[in-house]
Amino acid sequence: MGLHGSFMALAHSPLGHAMQTSRWAFAVVEMVHLLGLAVLGGSVLIVDLRLLGVILKGESAITISRELSRLLIGSLLVMVLSGIALLSEEAGKCYYSPAFRWKMALLAAAVIFYFTLHRQAILCTRRGTLKLWPRIAALVSLLLWLGVGVAGRAIGLL
Amino acid sequence: MPILQHFCETLYHSGFGTMLRESNNAFSVIESVHVLSITLLIGTIAVLDFRMLGLILRSIAVSSVARSVMPLTWSGFAVSVMSGFLLFWAEAEKMYVNPSFRAKLVLLALAGINALVFHRTIYRRAQEWERQHVSPWRARATAFASLMLWSGVIIAGRAIAYF
Amino acid sequence: MKARFAIASAFWISTVTIPAYAHHSFAAEFDINKPVRLTGKVTRVEWTNPHTYFYIDVVDASGKVTNWGIEGPSPGALSRRAWGKNDLKVGDTVVVEGYRAKNGSNTANGRRVTLPDGRSLYGGSPGDGGPGDDGTDQGNLPATGTNK
Repeated sequence: MGLHGSFMALAHSPLGHAMQTSRWAFAVVEMVHLLGLAVLGGSVLIVDLRLLGVILKGESAITISRELSRLLIGSLLVMVLSGIALLSEEAGKCYYSPAFRWKMALLAAAVIFYFTLHRQAILCTRRGTLKLWPRIAALVSLLLWLGVGVAGRAIGLL
Repeated sequence: MPILQHFCETLYHSGFGTMLRESNNAFSVIESVHVLSITLLIGTIAVLDFRMLGLILRSIAVSSVARSVMPLTWSGFAVSVMSGFLLFWAEAEKMYVNPSFRAKLVLLALAGINALVFHRTIYRRAQEWERQHVSPWRARATAFASLMLWSGVIIAGRAIAYF
Repeated sequence: MKARFAIASAFWISTVTIPAYAHHSFAAEFDINKPVRLTGKVTRVEWTNPHTYFYIDVVDASGKVTNWGIEGPSPGALSRRAWGKNDLKVGDTVVVEGYRAKNGSNTANGRRVTLPDGRSLYGGSPGDGGPGDDGTDQGNLPATGTNK
């Protein structure tokens, strides 16, 4: 099954059918998506601003990142699940939408970055002095996540 | 006509309001800023709320978290209000009669009152309890109310489009 | 063919290009079994964010006048499709070909739009699943063929 086939399969799935025929499902799921956005954004901001040395300077970046990881991953999960439901409602449109493709690319980059280089950069801070690499990682992270948000908005506007 | 309604109609029919409302890109950009600002405004205060509920950052004193979070929240508030006011200006006449918009403003006011009461009462004595992993029940009630009210603001804000 | 030359100046309910309002896919909001072809005089045009609207007075065979509402995407989205604010004027006689809203209201989706000056626009967006959707932004409606 090609990419287009996968999108169509989602559209024709029970989830897709439910989302397309319901008069309120899309609105409700979209609201959940927004609530997830608020929490995900807040978590990312706190972790990355700490890495940049802007806030909570007296506290360990490793502690903060670890403590917020569940909130971050949890809200990300909420967004992914609600996002799949939203996608099932308009799979064809998303397939052809450049904004959607950008969003998915940036999302993949942001998630992969979070679990790899970003995590490594946080561990770098163990040695105490704030090195350059954690700050760069924080900036990259913030830009990637911002990109996901902007691209997401663009889906509906273009 | 009520003075508030007259005010809304004046804004709506003004040159600036009309320009925004009929714009090719400005309205969309401002609306996007407004939506994304919920991360800075609500996402950050949610971190403080979750701390007081004893769910995260338990090894860090509440006031430390608050001192870091509040400037971010206020920045988010400034961006939200400015972008929100412009959106309101463009649609003022329609917002006057929109029940979801009215609900959003009420919830916003309640969220503000919730925060104000907290800062003037329980938070004054923060040094007594801020190191506890789970904050006292009044602080937890504030945190819970905050999460509910701000969620309501988001939901009511989104629902504006459906009325 | 008359339809081909139909002076159809219409904003369309391109449901999937609607960013905020009552967002559904074509399938959820419009009834593919209720095609409509509306001829009417434009009574009002709202070139507004987040959605554009226009209204037409449709006179039926018995002389009864019904006002129909057509909702469209944002001014920005329309302008990207080379549609301008002044392309539709009050008093223009237009024909909207599309599908009626499922809730039975006097609302329709316009799948084919032709301006008085002969320019025509496909009223859907790529992949929205409505009639004529072939994944392009020109569409391919059987009755009127592709527009350019």
